[in-house]
This record gives sequence, structure tokens and C-alpha cells, in this order.
Amino acid sequence: MATDETPATPAALTAEQLSRADEAAAGRPPIDIPGRERSAVTRSLVVYGLLIAVALLYFVPFFWSVSTSLKTLPETVGFDLIPDNPSLKAYRESLTSFNFARYFGNSVFIATVVTIQNVFLSALGGYAFARLRFPGREVLFFLVLGTLMIPDELRLVPIFQMLTDFPVTHWSFIGSYQGFFLISLVGAANLFLMRQYFLTIPRDFEEAAKLDGAGYFKTYWKVMLPLAGPALAAITILTFQGTWNAFFWPLIIFLGNEDLFTLPLGIFQFRTQYQTFWPHLMAASVIAIIPIFLIYLFFQRYFIAGITAAGVKG
Amino acid sequence: MARSGRGLGSERVREALVGYAFIVIPMFSFLVFSIYPLFYALYISRYEWGILGKIEPLGLENYRELLRDDLFGKAVKNTLLYTAVVVPCQMALGLGMAVIVNQALRFRTFFRAAFYFPSLASSAAITAIAIFILSSDGLLNSLLGTDRAWFADSDTALPSIMGLNIWTTSGTMMLFYLASLQSISTDVYEAAAIDGARTWRTFWKITFPLLKPGHFFVLVVSVIGSLQLFDQAFIASGGGGGPNYATTTMVLYLFQTTVQDFRFGYGAALGVALFVLIFTLTLIQRLLFGRTEAA
Repeated sequence: MATDETPATPAALTAEQLSRADEAAAGRPPIDIPGRERSAVTRSLVVYGLLIAVALLYFVPFFWSVSTSLKTLPETVGFDLIPDNPSLKAYRESLTSFNFARYFGNSVFIATVVTIQNVFLSALGGYAFARLRFPGREVLFFLVLGTLMIPDELRLVPIFQMLTDFPVTHWSFIGSYQGFFLISLVGAANLFLMRQYFLTIPRDFEEAAKLDGAGYFKTYWKVMLPLAGPALAAITILTFQGTWNAFFWPLIIFLGNEDLFTLPLGIFQFRTQYQTFWPHLMAASVIAIIPIFLIYLFFQRYFIAGITAAGVKG
Repeated sequence: MARSGRGLGSERVREALVGYAFIVIPMFSFLVFSIYPLFYALYISRYEWGILGKIEPLGLENYRELLRDDLFGKAVKNTLLYTAVVVPCQMALGLGMAVIVNQALRFRTFFRAAFYFPSLASSAAITAIAIFILSSDGLLNSLLGTDRAWFADSDTALPSIMGLNIWTTSGTMMLFYLASLQSISTDVYEAAAIDGARTWRTFWKITFPLLKPGHFFVLVVSVIGSLQLFDQAFIASGGGGGPNYATTTMVLYLFQTTVQDFRFGYGAALGVALFVLIFTLTLIQRLLFGRTEAA
């Protein structure tokens, strides 16, 4: 209710624009109504033909991998899209004999922890930078934005060294979850997104809370955070997807410890060790893709809003 | 009055303390894992530095070695070639799909999702699927009637990765263009329609130039992403960057130097070189776009 009154952020704006555009499109008359000019009909035929062709091109590899994952190894030599005797054997064996159940669990665990860290810390920090006044705020915020320009490649050597032998304490984080959690505490882009969102929420809400005698944390937690739902949702979904798919840092940190492998690392290792066990490799790939696909189906709006928020800014 | 003034003062202090408390962990993370590494990388790149620590100061010798290093040269060449091919293709495809999906169509949500779908999936899973389809007895060969091992042949390994990533990332570029397209006021199109402009002409004369901020953003994102190519090259080549170094990209070489050979000083110099390359190219793009704007 209250959120209706708040001006939309770039993120929310995009989500609304997109959905509104959808509704508008749905409301228009169908394209092939009789009485239209023939050229319009031809044109729409061409457009749909093109769309379907491209969509097929984009989907065929996935159909093919799902189909292969349901085949037996000898059957992969043939090129039938529909397997003769579809079986879940490859899935069963990937999950048990080839440890993908464990990798799946690791992926869920790691992505969940990193997502919680990011949502909590980016909201907290974003709120402070948007609303609380403290000396040095602008300089510090500028610093946060500056870190966005430092590429991972430049950080590789220092972070790898740091994780191998942490300064002062001499902890080793290579081959441990903690190392990955530590370097993924919070993303600067997420903090930026949260700050921008909080800036758009009218101050009235906080003033009212203050009059009620609520402290800073309570105001933040009980009043502001519930108002930031769309931004929190976008960060949750994008961080989860990003961590689930992450390859570079997990490779560096987990490579020596198979117990910690995530699905992408499992797929990489399986491919290197077992080369052409195609049904199993495809089953593992399908297992890695499906959860993100489902999240996308259910939360498409936030997904697209989060991704394009950056585009609108730029 | 004096009392209320003091009350305000302590309130200020309280607010500031709460503010610092809220940002302390994020700031710690940015300082330790981004800002410190920047300076540390610059520092260590001037040393011969191994797994056990500092060996000897080299001045700029690591950077000079980069210039002499044939493998680094090959990595730069591969990376730039990849970028030169992939960026225009991604942009053109992304724009084309965005324009089509932006029209009043049935099932547009479905088509948008279909085009975006490959961008969602894990790079490892997608690369595994590509390896299967491009294998010597894979789907592509059976369609073409050939028996080429696309990823195992040094002539086709890099082009295969180009194709793979054009396919997977064009959906993201489409979303960026879509956001940019929807920020164009419909008045412009109405005016064009009154003038009787044809669709194709409207696109080139009106839409395309108005998309300039979108072009700039997509170009920058696409170039940065391409220069950082790693996952697909690493997975497709089993970590080796082969065959015959055909898929050794700058980041892949950096990974081998650092994580496998423990040559930290040289690796840091490599990272700095890549950072400078990305920074310079981004700056050039900004200047180019800035100039056309002024003209």
C-alpha cells in the first residue's frame, strides 16, 4: 500500500515499464485479423517465422542436452531427439556415483550464505549512505563506487596470497568455505542499488517512526526495510544466480578440496576425467541449469528489473 | 536553548556512530579485498615473488618480460581477436532481438525469455553442452556432414568459443537495449508516422541514433566482459588453454601464472597490464562517444 506512493527506482521503474508494455501489447488486436492489408499479414508472418526460428536456435542445445541426459551411452551415437527408452539412469548415477548430489548441496549452501550476507550488508550499508549523516560519508561512498572499477584479475594475486596465508593471523582459507564467504561479503553494486532505492523513499516514514520514539536500528529494520522489498528481491535473486553460476573464485579456492566442489566445478572435473560420458555430463548440466531456470520463471520481473537497472543508470 | 543545542549535538554524534556501525563491515570488505589489492598488486609487480615470499626486487623487469613473452603475446592476440569478433555480433544480435521483442507481439514474454535463457545458465553447464554438440561425433557435425573436433582443432577452438558466447550473452545485451528502447518517448514515433516514414527508415533515422546511451553502455559492458574471457576457454580446453595455445586468453594465462606456477610478481604485472588495457579501452570509447555527441 505504502509502496504505491513511493517514487520508483530505476529498478522498479523498469519492472513496471516492462510489465505495462506487456499489458499494452496483450490489449492490442491480434495481428492477423481479416481486413488487414496483405502486406501487414506477410510482414507479421515473416516476423513470427523469424522469431520462432531464432527461439528454436536458442533452445535446441537445451532440448538436445535434456534428450541426451535421458539416453544410454550407446544411444548417444544416434541423432534422435526423442530417446527410444528414456531413462533417469544418467541422473541417478551422476547424483550418486559421481557425487553430484554433494555438489548440488554445496551449491545450495554457498549460494544461500553469500546471498544472505549480501542482502543484509548491502541494505545496511545502503541505508547508512542514503540516510544517516556522518563525517566522511561522501568520500567513503566515492571509494565504494571506485571499487567497481577494479577488475577481478587485478585482485587475483593479492587475494590468492591473502587467502593462502592471511596477514597477521596466518590462517589459510584455500580449500575452505570461509575464504569464499569472506571475499564475497558484499558487492559494491548491490550496496549502490540499495542506496539508490532508499533515496527514493520519502522521509515522512522515518519522521513518523522517530516521533514514535523508535531508535535508528528499529526505524531501519521495522520501517525502511519493509519498504525496500523490490530492491531486496532483485539483489537476492541476482546474487543467488551469480553465486550459483560462479566459476572463477570457487575454482581458485575450492580446486584442491573436492568435498567443497560446487556444480560448475563438478562439471568441469567430470568433463576432464570422463570425457565422453555424455548422458551423465548432460544430466549434470541440466541439474545445474534447472534451479536458476525455475527462479527465473517465477521471479522474471525482478530478474529483468535488476539486470536492466544498471542499463538505465548507464 | 543551550540545552537543546547540546541535545542536538549528542544526537548528531549518535547518528554518526550508528552510520559508521552500519557501514563498518562493507567498508572492511572493500578496503581489504579491493582497494588494498590494487596497491599491493602494483607493489608486488616490481618483485620476483614466489610462494615463499619476496625473492628479489626487479623494478620494471616483470613488465619488460611481458613484452618479450611470446605466450603473453599470444594471449593478448587471442583476447583482442575474440573481443573484435564477439562485441559487434553481440551488439547487433542484442539490438535486433530487442527491437523485435519490443513490438506488439503475441507471446512476447515467451520470446523474451527464450532469447534471455542462455544468459541465465551456468557457464560450466553451457560449455559442457557446447562441448558435446561440437564434439567430433556431435550434433553439429552430423548436421554439416563433417567430422571435425571443433574444440580440439587449433583453427576452430577459439571461433567455437566466440560462437558459444555470442549465443549465450546476446540475451543480456537484448535486455539492456530493451531498457534503452523503452526510454524513448513514443511522441517521436508518432511524429515519424505522421510524416509517413517507413519502418526501416524510422529505425535507422530515429531509433538507432536515439539509442546512443544504450549503444555506449552495451559496448562498454560487452568489451569489458570479452577482455575478461576465462570460464569457457578454461573449461573447453580442460584448463590448459590449448590446443596449441589457441584458447589461452589473458585471464587464463594469468590464472596459470598465479595459481599453478605461483609466480606472484609476474602474475601481478599481468593483472596490472590487463587492468590498464580495460581502462584505456573504456576511456577511448567514452571519448569517441563524447565527440560524436559534441559534433
